[in-house]
Amino acid sequence: MQRCESSAILTTMSSPSFAVGDTLIYPNQGLCRITEIKSEEIAGQHLRFVTLIISETGARVKVPEHKMLKNGMRAVSDRANVDEVFRFLISDSARASLDWKKRTRDNTARLSEGGLLRLAEVIKGLQELSELRPLPPKERGQYDDARHLFVGELAAALKIPHANAEDALDITLFPVGSERPKRGIEEFQDLLEGVDDDLGDLDTADVDLPDENEAVDSDAQDKGDEGGGEEGPLSAPTTVAKSPRATAKKRAAPRAKKAKTSAAEAKKAPATRKKPATQPKKRSPPKAAPTSKSRARTKKSK
Amino acid sequence: MIRIVPLDEFDPKLLSALAGSLYAAFGVGAEVLPQLGVPDSLPRPYNPTDLVAALPPVDSFPDDRILFLTSRELQPRALPSGSAPTYGLSHYDGRFCLLSIASLGEIKADNIRRLTRFAMQEIGHAYGLHHCLDPRCAMYAHWTKSFPTGDAIFCTFCREKSEQRIRQVKA
Repeated sequence: MQRCESSAILTTMSSPSFAVGDTLIYPNQGLCRITEIKSEEIAGQHLRFVTLIISETGARVKVPEHKMLKNGMRAVSDRANVDEVFRFLISDSARASLDWKKRTRDNTARLSEGGLLRLAEVIKGLQELSELRPLPPKERGQYDDARHLFVGELAAALKIPHANAEDALDITLFPVGSERPKRGIEEFQDLLEGVDDDLGDLDTADVDLPDENEAVDSDAQDKGDEGGGEEGPLSAPTTVAKSPRATAKKRAAPRAKKAKTSAAEAKKAPATRKKPATQPKKRSPPKAAPTSKSRARTKKSK
Repeated sequence: MIRIVPLDEFDPKLLSALAGSLYAAFGVGAEVLPQLGVPDSLPRPYNPTDLVAALPPVDSFPDDRILFLTSRELQPRALPSGSAPTYGLSHYDGRFCLLSIASLGEIKADNIRRLTRFAMQEIGHAYGLHHCLDPRCAMYAHWTKSFPTGDAIFCTFCREKSEQRIRQVKA
């Protein structure tokens, strides 16, 4: 198996020399363009701020110049980097880890670190894993993000349309005229050796687990205690454990009995019900409020 | 809205069936516009980028996606990692996409599953969707052997993403 050393070809900006109009790659955001470089005084400190516009979203970001390298901002990859990435994609590289925690941690770090090769590592790793089993939704989203960033940078690096950039990537991953291979677990077997089983130093020999027979006996004893006064097979101590269905039936029995009696009462009820002795009185409509005319009439009559 | 613009003569039943299938797939309206003429000056086989650029403007709204449908043969593309067959072209997050049925074989109005699958992929790219890992999905790489035989459906991830992108575009 070959493994590409990515650190050798990662494009980082050794000297912070930017100019307005330069195109950069912002990790996890993609392509952005410098629109302004300005000195400002904040809390008595003179700082140089670089204003960027992220191409895809149009969002405006203001970053202090001395923090640009720390944030992982870098120049767009050149042709040599692209060739190296395609060599990596075609090669039989190391498989992604089968431990999902390790895999997610690694991929998140690769995405935030940026770099065309790091993105290619995420894409290829998850692509090969998907040939073993379908990806979980979160990783499927991560795969899509990595692909989106990769295609954007590749298109910018080679100055080609996004559609061609994606097809250039996919020709290496999905061979023309054939299907993707189905991978077996044995291809990932060497990785399984390093996977923790999450049990740590837990040794089952040191743990006092209750004996199965003991548990059944104690259960039977409880049962015997409950039905102590009764005669017959139920009262005899048995070694058969209670099945959940049996206990459920037992619990449901009083409820069913209650339901039966209430239904019988309901049947009887109409016969014994008496009619009310008197009809309820009808409500008379509310009297209209006296108007000014009616008031005048009453005054006259007085 | 998805607007289908034929660049050649097509059976009207086929076009209306395609519009219905795309409406069902994306959940946005789809309509067929009158045929558009292609300039004769372009060299053949057609370069998809040049062909789309040479077409006259189509009246549409900013959130519309326009699918140019042609029966002309398109040039295979030379890519940095090899050569890819060209069934169409789509501008990612753009408004225009092109689909050629020259390599799709015979397509009838009562069986347009294959045509719909290819059209879904081109329009999906125009909405910003990438290729998918699921061979059943219409966004799977279209040069694979199984792609033309699949159903005109999206996988769960691509369907949700397309709905999200359509909402964003409308907003």
